[in-house]
Amino acid sequence: MSSSSAAAGTSNGGSVDAGGAARRNTRMPKYSKFTQQELPACKPILTPKWVVSVFFIVGVIFVPIGVVSLLAARDVVEIIDRYDEACVPSNMTENKLAYIQNSTISKNCTRTLRITKEMKQPIFVYYELDNFYQNHRRYVKSRNDAQLRDAKKPNQTSACEPERYTADGKPIVPCGLIAWSLFNDTYSFTRGNENLTVDKKDISWKSDREHKFGKDVYPSNFQNGSLIGGAKLNSSIPVHESYSALSYVVAYACRRESIVHVTSLSEQEDLIVWMRTAALPTFRKLYGRINIDLKQNDTITVNLLNNYNTYSFGGKKKLVLSTATWLGGKNDFLGYAYLIVGGLCIFLSFAFTLLYFIKPRLVFILISAAITMISVGLTGNWGTTTTCPGTDTLEAAKAPLGTP
Amino acid sequence: MKARMKDMMRVATARLGGEQQAGASSSSGYVRRDSTAVRTTRLGGDSLRRQPQPQAPTVRTVYCNDRDANAPVGYKGNSVSTTKYNVLTFLPKGLFEQFRRVANLYFLMISILSTTPISPVHPVTNVVPLSLVLLVSLIKEAFEDWKRFQNDMSINNAKVDILQDRDWESTPWKRLQVGDIVRIKKDGYFPADLLFLSSTNPDGVCYIETANLDGETNLKIRKALEKTWDYVLPEKVSEFKGEVQCEQPNNSLYTFTGNLIVDKQTIPLSPNQLLLRGCSLRNTEYIVGVVIFTGHETKVMMNSMNVPSKRSTLEKKLDKLILALFATLFMMCVIGAIGSGVFINQKYFYLGLRGHVEDQFNPKNRFVVTILTMFTLITLYSTIIPISLYVSIEMIKFIQCTQFINNDINMYHAESNTPALARTSNLNEELGQVEYIFSDKTGTLTRNLMEFFKCSIGGEMYGTGITEIEKGGAERAGIKIDNDEGKRSAAAIHEKGFNFDDARLMRGAWRNEPNPEACKEFFRCLAICHTVLPEGEETPEKISYQAASPDEAALVAAAKNFGFFFYRIPVSSVAFDKTPHDAGAIEVALTILRTPTTVVVRESHVERMGSIQDVSYEILNVLEFNSTRKRQSVVCRFPNGRLVLYCKGADNVVFERLADGNHDMKKISREHLEQFGSAGLRTLCLAYRDLNREQYESWNEKFVQAKSSLRDRDKKLDEVAELIEKDLILIGCTAIEDKLQEGVPACIETLSAAGIKIWVLTGDKMETAINIAYACNLVNNDTKQFIISSETDAIREVEDKGDPIEIARVIKDTVKQSLKNFHEEALRSLSRMPERKLALIIDGRCLMYALDPTLRVDLLGLSLSCHSVVCCRVSPLQKAQVASLVKKGARKITLSIGDGANDVSMIQAAHVGIGISGQEGMQAVMASDFAIAQFRFLTDLLLVHGRWSYLRLCKVITYFFYKNLTFTLTQFWFTFQTGFSGQRFYDDWFQSLYNVIFTALPVIIVGLFDKDVTASLSKRYPQLYKEGIRNSFFKWRVIAVWGFFAFYQSIVFYYFTAAASRHGHGSSGKILGLWDVSTMAFSCVVVTVNLRLLMACNSITRWHYISVAGSIVAWFVFIFIYSAIMTSFDRQENVYFVIYVLMSTFFFYLTILLVPVIALFGDFLYLSIQRWLYPYDYQVIQEMHRDDPHEYSMVQLPETSHLSPEEQRSYAISMLPRENSKHTGFAFDSPGYESFFASQQGVGVPHKPWDVARRASMKQRQQPQRPARS
Repeated sequence: MSSSSAAAGTSNGGSVDAGGAARRNTRMPKYSKFTQQELPACKPILTPKWVVSVFFIVGVIFVPIGVVSLLAARDVVEIIDRYDEACVPSNMTENKLAYIQNSTISKNCTRTLRITKEMKQPIFVYYELDNFYQNHRRYVKSRNDAQLRDAKKPNQTSACEPERYTADGKPIVPCGLIAWSLFNDTYSFTRGNENLTVDKKDISWKSDREHKFGKDVYPSNFQNGSLIGGAKLNSSIPVHESYSALSYVVAYACRRESIVHVTSLSEQEDLIVWMRTAALPTFRKLYGRINIDLKQNDTITVNLLNNYNTYSFGGKKKLVLSTATWLGGKNDFLGYAYLIVGGLCIFLSFAFTLLYFIKPRLVFILISAAITMISVGLTGNWGTTTTCPGTDTLEAAKAPLGTP
Repeated sequence: MKARMKDMMRVATARLGGEQQAGASSSSGYVRRDSTAVRTTRLGGDSLRRQPQPQAPTVRTVYCNDRDANAPVGYKGNSVSTTKYNVLTFLPKGLFEQFRRVANLYFLMISILSTTPISPVHPVTNVVPLSLVLLVSLIKEAFEDWKRFQNDMSINNAKVDILQDRDWESTPWKRLQVGDIVRIKKDGYFPADLLFLSSTNPDGVCYIETANLDGETNLKIRKALEKTWDYVLPEKVSEFKGEVQCEQPNNSLYTFTGNLIVDKQTIPLSPNQLLLRGCSLRNTEYIVGVVIFTGHETKVMMNSMNVPSKRSTLEKKLDKLILALFATLFMMCVIGAIGSGVFINQKYFYLGLRGHVEDQFNPKNRFVVTILTMFTLITLYSTIIPISLYVSIEMIKFIQCTQFINNDINMYHAESNTPALARTSNLNEELGQVEYIFSDKTGTLTRNLMEFFKCSIGGEMYGTGITEIEKGGAERAGIKIDNDEGKRSAAAIHEKGFNFDDARLMRGAWRNEPNPEACKEFFRCLAICHTVLPEGEETPEKISYQAASPDEAALVAAAKNFGFFFYRIPVSSVAFDKTPHDAGAIEVALTILRTPTTVVVRESHVERMGSIQDVSYEILNVLEFNSTRKRQSVVCRFPNGRLVLYCKGADNVVFERLADGNHDMKKISREHLEQFGSAGLRTLCLAYRDLNREQYESWNEKFVQAKSSLRDRDKKLDEVAELIEKDLILIGCTAIEDKLQEGVPACIETLSAAGIKIWVLTGDKMETAINIAYACNLVNNDTKQFIISSETDAIREVEDKGDPIEIARVIKDTVKQSLKNFHEEALRSLSRMPERKLALIIDGRCLMYALDPTLRVDLLGLSLSCHSVVCCRVSPLQKAQVASLVKKGARKITLSIGDGANDVSMIQAAHVGIGISGQEGMQAVMASDFAIAQFRFLTDLLLVHGRWSYLRLCKVITYFFYKNLTFTLTQFWFTFQTGFSGQRFYDDWFQSLYNVIFTALPVIIVGLFDKDVTASLSKRYPQLYKEGIRNSFFKWRVIAVWGFFAFYQSIVFYYFTAAASRHGHGSSGKILGLWDVSTMAFSCVVVTVNLRLLMACNSITRWHYISVAGSIVAWFVFIFIYSAIMTSFDRQENVYFVIYVLMSTFFFYLTILLVPVIALFGDFLYLSIQRWLYPYDYQVIQEMHRDDPHEYSMVQLPETSHLSPEEQRSYAISMLPRENSKHTGFAFDSPGYESFFASQQGVGVPHKPWDVARRASMKQRQQPQRPARS
C-alpha cells in the first residue's frame, strides 16, 4: 500500500503517464493482510494458567447446576410397579403366552401401591415397556403421515406394510405397524373408596395433535384383521371411565346418531402418544394425569386390564406414578453428570496448580532443553562466522529463561 | 498414390529442366548445388516408392496461393480449440471425469443403493452432498473451460492480412488455409506456421521473438530465401506461384526440412525460413509468408500435451487413511449385520414378521437378512467417508496458491519484476516436507551473469583479479588478502560483461607483448566467432549485444574493450560486388555462399596507435554450437582474401583437434586452464586455422550438400564440421567469472538447519564444483569429503590403452570399491563423531556406473549418510536419475530446483520441481510446479508456505476424519439399540447437510488461516521444519488420537442424550420421542464439532469466529425453518415442531451445555497435558514468543511505530539484505553433457528431451491482448 502511494507521489513530480505506466507494469503483489497472511488473530495458547482457569471456571459453573438439578430430581416422587409377572394367574406362570393370547381368560388384575412420600398434583401416570423396539426400522417407517393428517387420503398407505389393507383390500386408517400395535392396557385408580380420576386430556404434544393428526380423519378398517396387535380405536368404552380418547367410534354410517361420539384421530391422544416413537427399546409413555394430591402412606388400588402382550418377547410392563418438577421427572442423570464433571474440573484445576508449583515448571525445563538443542544446531553447525538471521534474538530469548 | 507419384515425377522432370536452364547460364557452383538438390528429391521419391503405407505420405505438398489446388488434400483449418468440453459433451464428460475419483464413485453407488428399499435413508441423504460436491467441481471445470474457450475465440478471431485479388484483406485467423499468403505486421503474431517469403528489410531478414515458445526474450533472426526476397508488394506477391514440399506436421520445434519449388528451381528449406505460430515479429515493418501448417498441426500445438500431474505424498497417505476408513466401515457393517441376523425373530410380534415378510426382515432366512442389512448399514454409515474432503482440500490449496504464494511480497524480486508463481496447486503441502533438495548450479546458485575476468594468450596469462573463491581459499589457508577495490590499476574497466584488469593488454598495449600476433588473432576470434547481434547506436559506449548465452556477450564485449569493436552486420552484406540490386549477381553469390553475412569490426590500433579502421569480414560458414559439439566455428574471409577458420569451445574438445607441435604452449595453456578452473572461472579455448581456397571449396561443397539434405541434416552437418575443424592452432583461452546469487549461502545454511539436505548437481568440473560447495557453505574445512572421481591416474592409464571394455570394467570396479569403503567409513564416522559433516563428491562418469542397478544400493546408502552431495559433470539425464534414486530408493521427499533446459528432467523427476523465473529461458519454469525468482526465496517457500500448508492440510484432514467418524459412530451406537435394523438416528436432511453446510466452512477457514508461528519465526527457527520432514502431524499415532476422541465423543453424544432424555421433561410430564432425542444429539454434535475445531486452531481470526458461529447458527436457523414447515413432499414429517418442543424444556438447555463440555473435556485435557509435558517444537516457540506483538511485513513497517525496540531490531535483522557469499567461481559449464553420456550408456536421447513447446500453447492464452495492441 505504502509502495503504491509512493509511486503515485513520484509520478506527480514527473510525467503522470510514466508514473502510471510504471505502476501498471510492476508485478509486485499488492499488500493486503489477507494475501500476506497477516490477518489480526488471537493466539490461544493452552498455558498452565489457562488450563487451570478453564477447569476452575467450568467447575464453578457446573457444580451449582448439578446441585440444583439433583435437588430438583430429588423432589420428584416416583412409584414404579412392575405388573406383567404378577398379573399372570399363578396357574399360568409357565405359559404366559397362552394366558395373554386366550381372550376368554379375564385380564383383570388388581395392584396396590403405597405412597412413600407425599405427591403433589399433578401426578403423572406412565406405562413403561421394556425390550420393545419402537425404533426398529421396520416399525418406525410403518406409518403414513399423509393419511393421518388428511381425510382425503385414506388410500395413502405406502410404507405401511404389512398393515396396509384389510383382507378384502380396503385401506386401513391408521395404517401401519405402529398404530396396529397400540398399547391397550388400562388403568383405574382408587384410594379407599374414592375413585381417582385419570385425566387423559393433553397428554400428547400439542403440535402432533393439531398438525399431524387430522381433525376430520376417522379410523376405518382398523384392527379388523385376523391378528389383533393392540388397542382398537372403535371399542366401546363408557365415557364415565374417562376414556374419552377411546370413546365410541363407529362406522361412518352411524355418524348421524347422536348417542355415539365419533372421535377423530386428533382426539385419540393415546394413539398420538404411542405414535411418537421412542428412541430406546426401554421407554415410558404418558398415560394420564391424576389431579389430586396423594398423602404419604396412602394406599392406592390399581385396577388394570392386562391386555397387552409383552410376554412373547419377554418385555416388562411397569406402571409408574410420578410427580414432576421444572426439570421433569425423576432423572438424576443430568444432576450427577454436572456434579461429577464440575467436581472433576475443580479437582483438576487444583491438581494442575499443585503440579505447576511443586514440580518447578516442567514445561520451562523442556523449553530450555529445546533451546539448547536449537542453539547448538545453529552455532555449532558449521563453525563459520556466517550467521543465520536470528541468532541474536535467540540469545535474547535465552536470557529471561535463566531465571526459572 | 498414383496421383502423388505423378506429382513427384512432374517435379523431378521440372527440376531437370531447371538444371539445364541454369547450367547454361550460371557458374558451375550453381549447377552442382542444384543437382544435389535433385538427387535429394529423387531419394525422397525413392523412399516414397518404397513406402508401404501410401495413405501416409511422408511429404506434404503445398501449392502457394492456390486454394483450389490445395483443396483436394483437405488440410485442417486454422481454428484451434483447447477446450476440454463443448456444450454437448460437458455434462457426460465432466461427470465422467468426476466419477473417476473413487470417493465420488463410492457416493454414487451409495446414492443408487439408497433409492432401493434396503436403504434406511432417503436418497436425499447421499444425493445432496454428492450433487453439491459435483456441482462445485463442475462449476470450476466449466469456468476454466469457458476461459479457455474465450481465449480460443479471441485467438481464432484475431485479424491477419491475407492476399486476396492482388490486395491485402483482413481476415480472422480461423479462416486461414494452407497455402494462403499472409502479411504480418510489426509486433504481430504469426497465425500459423509460415514459410518466410520476404520482409521489408532489404536482405530478407526478419527478427522474431520466441518468448511464447521457449520464453527466451532475445531476438532471433530468420532469413528468407533470396529467391523470394522481392515478393513484398501485393501486386508482386500475387504473381508468386510456388510449391512447397516439406515434412508432415510434427512436434519438433527446432527442425524443419523441405524444398521450395519455384520457377522450376528447387531450393532447400531450413528452420531458418519457418516462422512458428506463437512467435511475434519484431523490428521489421512487415513480412510476407505462406501458410504451411495450420491450427492443431502447427508445431506449437503439436507440442501441447498434458504432463501427468504430480500428487503429493500427503494425499497418497490420505488414500491410506480413506482405506482405513473403508475397513472401519466394513467392520461396523459386519458387526451390525451379524447382530441383525441374530436379532430378527418372530417373537417381536409388533414388527409384523408373520406371513409374507420382505427378505430383509424375514426371520426364516437369517443369512439373507445379514447380507441385506450389510448393504443397509453401508448406506447408513456412508458418512464415515468424508465426501467433501477432496473438494475442500482442492479449494484450500487453490486459494493458498493463488492468493498466498503468488502474492507473497517476500518472494517478489524487484530487479526482475517477478513474483513467485505456483503453477500447480497440488503440491503445497509437499513443500513442507522436503528432505532433499537437488539444485542446479548455473543460474540457480549463481547469477549467470558472466564477466570476462582473465585470459591466457599464447602461453601468457593476463588479468590480475582475484576471484571470490580464491579469496575464500586463501582465507581457509590462513592468508589474509587485501580486498581493496582502490588498489586496482587505472587500466581496470568494469562494465557489463567485462571485469578485467591488466595494463599489459589495455589501450593497445598488447602490441608490446611478446606475442602480438597471437593477441590479434585472439581478439579477432572473439570479435568474429559468435552469434551475437549488436543493438542500439554503433558506438562502443552505447551498443548492447544480444546473445543466446551471456558468455558470448561477455566475450564480444571483451573484444570491444581490447579495441576490436564488433558493431555491425551490414544491411546489404553481399561481399563480392557492391551492386546488390543486380538480382542475378545476388543469386549467384548467394547460391555459392550459404550464409552470405559480413561482420564489420572496427579495429583500432591494427597496425599502429591511433588508427581506426572498419574491417569487413565475410562470414562464409557458421558451424553452430550444440551440446554434442561443445564448440563453435566460423569460416571467414578477410578483406585480403585470406580464409580462416576460427573456433572456440570446451578445452577438451579443442585440445583434441589441435595440430601437432608446440607442446610447450599447450602444456602452459593447460596449466592456465586448471588455474582458472580452480579459481572458479568458466573457461573456453580459442583456436584458428588458415585454409586455402581449394581445401575450402571442396569442403564447402560437402557442407552445402549436408545443409540441403532432408534427412539427418544435423548429424550430417556435424560430420562435415569434423572434416574442417582439425589441425587447429591454439591461440589461448578465456576465463569468465560467474557470480553467486544473492543470499545463497545464508539460504543454504537456513535450509540445512531445517534438516534439509542439499545436493548440487552440476555439469562443471570437479574442482569448480567443490569450490561452489565451499562457497555455498555446503562443505567446509571440517567436512569429511568422499571423492569418487574418474580422473585418477589408474583410470587414465587404462584409458590411454584405449580399450573401451577394459576402461568400463576398471572404472566400475573402482567405483564399487570406493562406494563400499566410503560407506563403511561414513558409518564409522557417524557412530564415532555424529556431529562431523560428511560430503560425497562424485563425477558424472563414475555416477553412471554407480547408478548401475548392482551398485545403486551402495550409492544410496553412502549418499544418504552424507550431509551433502556434489555431483559434477553430470548430464541432465543423470540429474533426473539421481533425483529419482532418492525419491524411489529412499522414499524421501525431494525437490529439484533449476533454471535451464538441462534441469527440466530433474525438475520433473522430483516430487516438487522449482524453476527459477525472471531470467532468460523459461523451459525450467514451464516444467516446474513452482517458479521463484531467486534461490533464496526457497526459504520462504519451504519454511513459511510449505510448512504452513502442511500444518493446515494435516489439520484439515485429521479434522475431517474426526468429524465424520464422530458423527457416524453415534449412528453406530444407535444401531445397537434398534435391534440392528439399520434405523437411522438422524433425519435425512441433517445427515445430508452435516458435511456440506453445518461443518463445511470453518475447516476451510482453518485450512487457509491457521498459523502456528509467524512467518519470521518460521524462518528464524528453521528447526521447526523438521516436524514436517518427520511428518509429525499426519502420523498414524496422531490419527489414532483423533480417532480415540472421536470414539469417546460419539459415546458421549449418543448415550448422554439418550440417558438424559429417558423420563419426562418439564412440568408437563410429556415424553420425548426418537426424533426429539436425535435432534438434540445432532445439535450437540454440531456445536461440539465446531468448537473442537476452534480448539485445534493456533490462531483465531475473526473469520474463524464468523464461520464457526455461522455454522452453529446455520444449524439452528435450518432446524427452526425445517421443523416449522410441512410439505406435501413425500417424506415423513418426523421432525415437525421438534425443535420448538425441545426448546420449551429446561432439559434442552442443560444438555446442550453439558454434552459439548463433557465431549470436549477429554480433548482439552489431552491438549493441555500434551502441551505441558510433551510439547511440539512449534509450541515451544509459540510460548517463547507469546508476548510478541503482532508482526507485520516490511511494507507496513514505516507505519508501525508501536513496535518494541527488540521487535524493531529483529525486523531490521530480518530485513537486512542477506550476506553475499565469500566464494564464487565456476568453470566452463557446458549445457549439455547428456548426449555424450547417453551415447556412452547406449541410451538414445531424443532431440530435445526437455522440449518446451507445449507451454507455448499455454502462454498463448495470454496472447490476445497483444495483437489488439498492435
